[in-house]
Amino acid sequence: MSGASATLAAGARRSGASAAARRPAAYGAAALLGLLALWGIATAIPGFVPPRVLPSPLDVVLRFGSLIAEPFSGATLFGHALVSLQRWSLGVLAAIGLGLPLGVALAWLPPLRAIVTPAFELLRYIPPFAWVPIAVLWFGATTTTQAAIVFIAAFPACIINTQLAVSEVDSILVRAARTLGAGAATTLRRVVLPVAAPTVFTGLRIAFGNGWMALVGAELIVGKQGLGFLISQGQINDSAATILVGMTTIGVLGALIDLVLQRVQRLALPWKPSIVKPFE
Amino acid sequence: MSAKMELRGVSKTFQARGGETRALEPCDLKVASGEFVTVVGPSGCGKSTLMMIAAGLEAPSSGEILVDGRPAGPAGPRRTVVFQRFALFPSETVAQNIAFGLRVAHVERAEIERRVAEQLRLMGLARFAGAYPHELSGGMQQRVAIARALAVQPDILLMDEPFGALDAQTRTVLQEEVSRLQRELHYTVLFITHSVEEAVYLSDRVVVMSRGPGRIKREIAVPRDADWRGLEIEEAGNRASFLHTKREIWELIRDEIVRH
Repeated sequence: MSGASATLAAGARRSGASAAARRPAAYGAAALLGLLALWGIATAIPGFVPPRVLPSPLDVVLRFGSLIAEPFSGATLFGHALVSLQRWSLGVLAAIGLGLPLGVALAWLPPLRAIVTPAFELLRYIPPFAWVPIAVLWFGATTTTQAAIVFIAAFPACIINTQLAVSEVDSILVRAARTLGAGAATTLRRVVLPVAAPTVFTGLRIAFGNGWMALVGAELIVGKQGLGFLISQGQINDSAATILVGMTTIGVLGALIDLVLQRVQRLALPWKPSIVKPFE
Repeated sequence: MSAKMELRGVSKTFQARGGETRALEPCDLKVASGEFVTVVGPSGCGKSTLMMIAAGLEAPSSGEILVDGRPAGPAGPRRTVVFQRFALFPSETVAQNIAFGLRVAHVERAEIERRVAEQLRLMGLARFAGAYPHELSGGMQQRVAIARALAVQPDILLMDEPFGALDAQTRTVLQEEVSRLQRELHYTVLFITHSVEEAVYLSDRVVVMSRGPGRIKREIAVPRDADWRGLEIEEAGNRASFLHTKREIWELIRDEIVRH
């Protein structure tokens, strides 16, 4: 291959990649539509996939409509989603409320770190679901139990990323703030936390996702409402369409949560340009 | 001239595994009000340690630091520092960075605005008031750091190899600007560098340090009325009087490097 054609080929590859990078939304949507089309075709061929195993997209959309309109297993789809979101919010808020201050404290107070770290390292390798039985014994089949599971799933990412973020802040910035007369509180608020924020946000994204996934799992095991409960009822009622509606709702809500957080991050950190352009 | 800042018998010993390391023999150093004093020496002579002690960011093993004849106490806005790596606050704009020390000190808003505007003008930063540090070149960032340190009107400005991280052209421009500001405004400055030329060009007095362990070897006065003052650094560097001072200092430092 001559040098010129090699350059051309490389150029073509580059422009191909940049076309997808220029319009990520369009390409992503096309991929999703393709997946949907495959699903439609597979279920449209008579006898290829039985509806009991995989209902057609239309069946799922119809089921979606009926789940919105009429209560199923105690609530409409909206009601189940609301209950799940409420449990998730409680658990996640608790994880943030405790994890962020503790993360900062662990980064700034080595003695505290020495005391807390061994116990924390042991506890965090116990999966969230392993806490379900003891949580039920303690709190019963309540919102508290579900929120506690969310908390357990979300807390480690909150505290670990915050500790990491704060301890990685260049000490020269802290020194500069001190020479300009700033005390510990001002330095924390105006220098350390803003610089640590991107890593903390990354931790929150992980925490939010972990919490959401753990919640659905916990709802499969215990409770009388929620999206996890909805799909387990779909299984009992032998309704694959119900299960698929529940699963899709779980996935879409999870993605929406992440999208909202990313938007918040962008608004909160205008001085950090790199995080705005994930496709460049 | 009375001493604005005085280091009196300041030494530093680091505790390391297997014993102690003496980084700094007891040093005496005075900086008079309005005087620009530069410390030069080979790497490892403890000049940066001396600077951190002068700033109050590190405690001396012995000795004391006086400002206006009184113990200086912990680090604070009477002794501001310009670091080699700029150390700007990345989440704050240029104007916010410059205002940082003033806001911490609860200076009233109108006064903050006045002083920030003054610094922006002095350092040629007016166009960049709303920019974030990452949007600026290294030279511009260091201008902001200098403006930030001067805005609080410190008793003494400490500059720790401030141009060491800049490219040669930018360094020259900043050296000339600092020299011009100094001739107009007579800040009290303690400056650290390993560049003999920079030391001669900017200073009223050059303090040469030796290493192993660090101590002050000699002080050399650079006359304020030398014939090259006010010239650009290229031109000044060709004058016989400049070369003479430069060679005198360089001989002292070369002895140090050769001897070890």
